[in-house]
Order: sequence, then structure tokens, then C-alpha cells
Amino acid sequence: MKTGQLIEVWGDTVDSVHLGWAMAIGCAISLGAFLLANHILAGLVAAPEMARAYSMLVGLAGCLVSGAVCARLFPPKREVIDRAADPAWRETLMAELRSEPGGFGRLADLPAPTVAELKEMGLYDLFAAEEAAQDAGRDAGGRKAALHGVPSPSPDALRSEPAARGARA
Amino acid sequence: MELLLSDILWAAGMGLLGAVLFAAIGLVSGTDETTTIAPLTLLVVLLGVPPAGVFTFFLASAVAKHMTHAVPTALLGIPGDTMAIPLMQQAGVLRNLGVPHIALRKMVSGAIIAAFVSVPLAVLFAVLLAPFGPAITKAAPWIFVAAAVIIAYFSAGRWASVVALFPFVLVIVALQGLTAKFGVKLSISYFLGIAIGPLVADLFSVLSPVDRKRIARDKVRSFALAPDVKSWGGYFPNPFKVLDASQLRWTLGTAAISSATFVFSPVAMTVLLGEVVGSRVRHVYHRMTTVLTARNGVTESTYIAEALIPLIAFGLPLSPVAAGPAAPLFNAPPRFTVDAATGQVNNLHNLMTSWEFLGYGLLAVVLAALVSYPFAMNYARSAAALVARRLSHEAIIATFSGLILVIGVWEGGLMGLLVILAIGLVGGLLYRTLGFNTGVQFMGYYTAVLTVPALTKLLGV
Repeated sequence: MKTGQLIEVWGDTVDSVHLGWAMAIGCAISLGAFLLANHILAGLVAAPEMARAYSMLVGLAGCLVSGAVCARLFPPKREVIDRAADPAWRETLMAELRSEPGGFGRLADLPAPTVAELKEMGLYDLFAAEEAAQDAGRDAGGRKAALHGVPSPSPDALRSEPAARGARA
Repeated sequence: MELLLSDILWAAGMGLLGAVLFAAIGLVSGTDETTTIAPLTLLVVLLGVPPAGVFTFFLASAVAKHMTHAVPTALLGIPGDTMAIPLMQQAGVLRNLGVPHIALRKMVSGAIIAAFVSVPLAVLFAVLLAPFGPAITKAAPWIFVAAAVIIAYFSAGRWASVVALFPFVLVIVALQGLTAKFGVKLSISYFLGIAIGPLVADLFSVLSPVDRKRIARDKVRSFALAPDVKSWGGYFPNPFKVLDASQLRWTLGTAAISSATFVFSPVAMTVLLGEVVGSRVRHVYHRMTTVLTARNGVTESTYIAEALIPLIAFGLPLSPVAAGPAAPLFNAPPRFTVDAATGQVNNLHNLMTSWEFLGYGLLAVVLAALVSYPFAMNYARSAAALVARRLSHEAIIATFSGLILVIGVWEGGLMGLLVILAIGLVGGLLYRTLGFNTGVQFMGYYTAVLTVPALTKLLGV
């Protein structure tokens, strides 16, 4: 099928031509199902209120059918990659965690189950190494600042935050 | 006795149906609660299901959805629905650390515990507030306008939202006047228009050459799906073992608090209580997991309380949830009605006792837990992969376009459809540009139907 332009609509990427067709199909099947049911049931069901409620049920089923049809016709515009977190990411991530407003914290403050949880996932050493590096950095930075009489700028401030993403709320 | 048994069977059946349906819908991102739970609950009401069945269906749906919405949020980094947005940052960090399954398990465990705590507490608070019910019902028009202003001020738009209430209410009043000329009275069309507003506004942007540049993308979005690690035996992991003692305490505490604060926006409560918890936990990893646990717990408890307390105590939809996703429990003409002029209500408030609300509420949570909890724990990864790889966003938008059409035409023919479009465009643009969110807009609707008539009567015009 012909493709158009990639656009972001309602929080995800779609193809503009596919979107047009999908909406046409969605509207046609759903409304068609509803109107048809309304027409047929009006003669069959005695209470008009119930006939309308059942027509709505059929119309909503039509919505699901049109969704299934469109899911068959139009593939998702997403790339899903199976992979574990990239070790290179961890460095940027740690930088982000250091700049957390609540502070990085110390492993010594953690309750025993959380320490066990971290060890089980192989993350304990990562946090321990980061903590050690931070302590060393703080000592060195403190001395330097005392020598020159000015506070040293934090290197964290220069790094970007990978996980910062726009959310609508 | 036979009547009770039949009620219980209805409740169990409808609760199970809601739980299964919404455990599946929760996996699909973009399925906002109001656009999915409200129309289906309305349908259940109109088909004549007994009150216990209606109530259990609604509650089991909401509770089940707020467990499985954690699956796309944790594994793919896509918010499962509106309530999952405050969970994104912490879930993203744990995903990048390579442990999204921990994020998922903590969230789902927090949800199940909070849901069980919240039902009895919400019923208790409702019973305590019930003596003030008649006074509040009498003063309803003025309370709604006050609540609308408070909720507007606490939205992202602050004073802009407060001031925007005036033109927004005016638009609704004008549309009601217009449809009345054709003998059409609408309610669900307004709710759906408000809830689906962001989609309607985006679809208009697609058509506009000016705005289209803003939404154009040069490549598809890429998602990394992390591997899952199962670290328990059996099918039903114990939620108390997934959490540590302090996480359990925070979940219980925040669930209790959010069970009482029923007039505020559920997203705002989730953000706020998460911040409170985060400021008390010192280690960054522990902070992330604890905040996730507590926040997802709050998505359950605040929903339960915001639906239950106004329903049991007043019968008036006096909270953003009650005015939005739970609206058909209050107002589903001709079966359930709230009379604007007299403040007279005829809905689940009159049809069920507090004990029934408690019993069926707990039944709903049990059913949702039995369906959603083991599903989210055991099949999260394959379910997330299936949805991300097979279900295109075009298909989701097609489904919701159909929904707009069916509900609009069902309620008011062409008039219903035009009202959904008008309210959707205005509301969606105000949300996007001013932060005038859907919770405020729902309250704006009630200001238009309750406060404006009372005001005109008072002024004698």
C-alpha cells in the first residue's frame, strides 16, 4: 500500500496515508454495524430503549472489528528491539542518578532485603563503585576548592539526561 | 435470599468480565480510562444489569486496568494510560538499569495491596461524610463550582485554567441551548468529547499545514524490550515478599491518605504522594523502587476512593473520577439520573447500601487481583511484545474514531457527533496549550449543568 509521511498523533507514530484509511475503515464498519443493528432490532425487540442499547453493543463490537481489520492491514510504525540494557548506557544513567534532587544515598542506609535484591540482580557492585568514586571525587574536589578558594563546577551539570522525556500530564 | 444469590452471581460474572476485558485493554497504550471504562459501563447500565453487577463491573475494570497498565510502562517505556504517566521517570531509570521486571513487580504488588486497603477505607470515609449528604446535595451547585475552581487551580494551567473555566462553561451552555432547540439532550457525548479531546485536536493538526510541521517525524520510534527474569516458583507470587517493609509501609500510608482526598485530580495525587515518598528515601535505587510501588498503589486507591466516596455519601459526581470515568454510575438516563433543578438523585446511591458497596467492592478487587495480578506477573513480556509488534497505532485510532461515531450518533444523531467534535477540539486544544486538563473540563461540564441553572434561578433571569 502507498505510504505517506510519518507523523506523531496521540502519543505514537503513524503513517499519514495509513491513518486516513484506518479512520475511514473504523468509521464505516462501526457506524455501519450500529445503523444496521438499529434498523433490524427496532422491529425485533419490543422495548425501544433496549433495542437502542443492543444496537450500541453491536456498534462497539464493530469498533473492535475495525480495529482488528486495521491491525491486519497496517503494520505498527515502531521498532522493537530485544535487548538487555547496554552497559554503555549505565555510565550516562549513573550521571543522571547523581544529579537526582534527592541525592544518591549510601548503600549502608539500605534495608537488608534491598541489598539482597541488588546483589541478586548484579547491580550492587555498580552502585558500590559509583559511591566509592563519588567519595574520592568529593575529597579531591573539596581540597581543590580549599586551595583556590572557589567551588569547582560539577561535571554532572554538563551531561545530558537520557531518560528525560516529554510527558503530557 | 434467592435475590441476594442472584445479585452475587451477577456481580461475580460482571466483575470477572470487566477484569478480563480491562486486563487486556490495560496493555494497550493510549487507552485512556474515561474513553474505555465509561462507554462500556454505560452499556452495562443500559442493558439493565442489576446494580451490584454494574458496580462490580466498573470497579473490577478500573482495578484490573491499573495493574496491567504497568506492563507497557515498565517494559517498553510507553505509558499504559493517563494514570501511568507519573510512573514513567522511575520506570525508565529501572529499564535503563536493565531491571524492568523489578519495576513491574513492585508496581503490580503496590497496586494489589493498595486496592485491598482502599475499599474498606473509602467506604468508612463515605459513611462518616454521609450525615452531611443532605446539606451537600442542597448546596451541590455551589460546591461543584468551588470544586471546579480548586481543581482548575491545581492543574498544570493554574490561573489560566481557572479563567478558562468561564468560556469553557459558556460553550457547553451554548451547545446545550442549541441541541435543546432540536429536542436533543446530551450527556455522555460531552464526557466522550472531553476525554477524546487530545486525539481530536491532534487529528485537526494533521489536516493543518501550519501545525503539521510540529508533528512530522523523520523516523519510526524505537523501543528496547528488556528480557524478563522470573524469580519465583508457582503462578501467584506473594506481593508481600516482592516489597520490603518500608515499601509496604509507604504503600499502606499513601493508599490510606489517597482514600480520603477524593476531590483532587487522581494524576495530581499520584504525583504529589510520590514526591512525598521520594523525599523520605535516601538511596537512589531504593527511592526509585519505593516511589514506583507507592505511586502505582495510589493510582488504584485514588480511583477507588474518588468513585466510591461521592457515590456512597452523596450520589453526586463530586470528584474528577466520578465526573469522568465513573460518570455512568451516577448519570445514565433514563435509568440513572441526577436532577439539576432539585438535586434529586436516582442512581446506585439509592439502590445499594454501604454494606453492599463494601462487599461488592471487595469482590471486585478480588476478581481483578485473580485475573490481572498473575497475568501481569507471568506473561508481561510476551504480552507487551505482542501488542508492540502487532497492534499498530492506526488500528487503535480507527477503533476510537468508530467509538466517537457510534456513541455520538447513538446519543443524539448528527447533533451528538457535532457536540463531541466541538467539545473535543476546544477541550483538546485548551489541554495542549494551557494545561486545562480533562479533570477540570469534567468539572466544567457539571458547573454548566448544575451551577448555571441555579445561578440563573437565583438571579431571576
